[in-house]
Amino acid sequence: MSEQHITQWVNTYLDGELSSHLVRLVETHLVECQACREEFKSLRQLSGILQEAPLPEQISPERFASQVALRLPPRPVTPIRNKALEVGWWLVPIGLMALLILIQVTFAFSDWISTGIDLGFISNTAGWALFNSSQAAQFTSALGQFGLLGGSSLEWATWSESLTRTIFSQITWQVSIAMLYLSWMVIWWARQKRQVPGQPLEAGSQPTVES
Amino acid sequence: MTAARVNEVEDLVIKAQHGDRNAFSELVHRHSQGVINVIYRLCGDSQLAEDAAQEAFIHAWLKLSTYQLHTSLRNWLYRIAINIAIDALRKEKHLASVELSERMAAPEPTPEGMLTSRERAIWIQKAVLTLPPACRAVLVLREYEELSYQEIASTLNIPIGTVMSRLNYARNLLRANLKTQLFNYVEVENV
Repeated sequence: MSEQHITQWVNTYLDGELSSHLVRLVETHLVECQACREEFKSLRQLSGILQEAPLPEQISPERFASQVALRLPPRPVTPIRNKALEVGWWLVPIGLMALLILIQVTFAFSDWISTGIDLGFISNTAGWALFNSSQAAQFTSALGQFGLLGGSSLEWATWSESLTRTIFSQITWQVSIAMLYLSWMVIWWARQKRQVPGQPLEAGSQPTVES
Repeated sequence: MTAARVNEVEDLVIKAQHGDRNAFSELVHRHSQGVINVIYRLCGDSQLAEDAAQEAFIHAWLKLSTYQLHTSLRNWLYRIAINIAIDALRKEKHLASVELSERMAAPEPTPEGMLTSRERAIWIQKAVLTLPPACRAVLVLREYEELSYQEIASTLNIPIGTVMSRLNYARNLLRANLKTQLFNYVEVENV
């Protein structure tokens, strides 16, 4: 540490924010390095100079408190109701996530049953667990009966209809939940912005000064 | 702060959260000086500081249900106050250039380099007010309110690393601005 300057630590040392181990290292370095010692001295001097700027004569706390009391508006919402709303508010994303998981599990379960039936591992009595399996087949079989579909095209139509129906309903559910979740996040962000007034501090503003 | 005093403050907060205006007035009484000081250091105008402090307490009253007990009420109030002060400065931006030139023309140092204490105070205040607001807020909380880095970070809702870099930047800029007028003078005084 003694070979290089430690200017990055001098501020932190001055403010008493360094760990005891680093304090020892900095103090040892300050004894040896004149440049860092000057830096430290200059920063300490600056702190002293800043204290020279006086505060103006201020209004008494009693008078200020009464002025504020006169301007206090009625409370918009009681705290208890607010708390209940707050709990309900946080239950929304949890509920959405639970719904998404439930739907995913249900679809996965349905797929496993369907595959099991196809492969002969599960009997057809488990068909109740499939998503509209019978209804899905009814429409295409009706088309087949009227001679509109036949042979391989009937099989293909049955398969694609079943696939489309499953995927479509799955996507619809997921998109709906995602949209609800997104809406909740937008509202949450807007509420956060409203809780503390003002904008981020980065933007510049020209100050006024009182003589 | 002692445990008894913390409990007392929390009792007042709970009462105020349930709509007790007297309890809130007691909290205003206790924290008004600190809040006004912070805003004054940020904007350099005592009237603006008082008005903004009133706004800050009114906002705190309306949002008191969002304040979490066991956290620092002072820092929560400072946070509101700083944001309101920055907003107030933005609104008064059009006045700034006029006021700076008319009311706060920095004194020219005499050939001897000697400044009166009032002139020195004006130089210091002017130098602080030329800092970017974000850095100024960190500097004020550290130098005048003596908050720790952690407290500043939670008050301004920024990481500790940002507190350190803003403080470092503010101090370097101040030293550069004040070097000619004040540092030389201090050195002369010390001789």
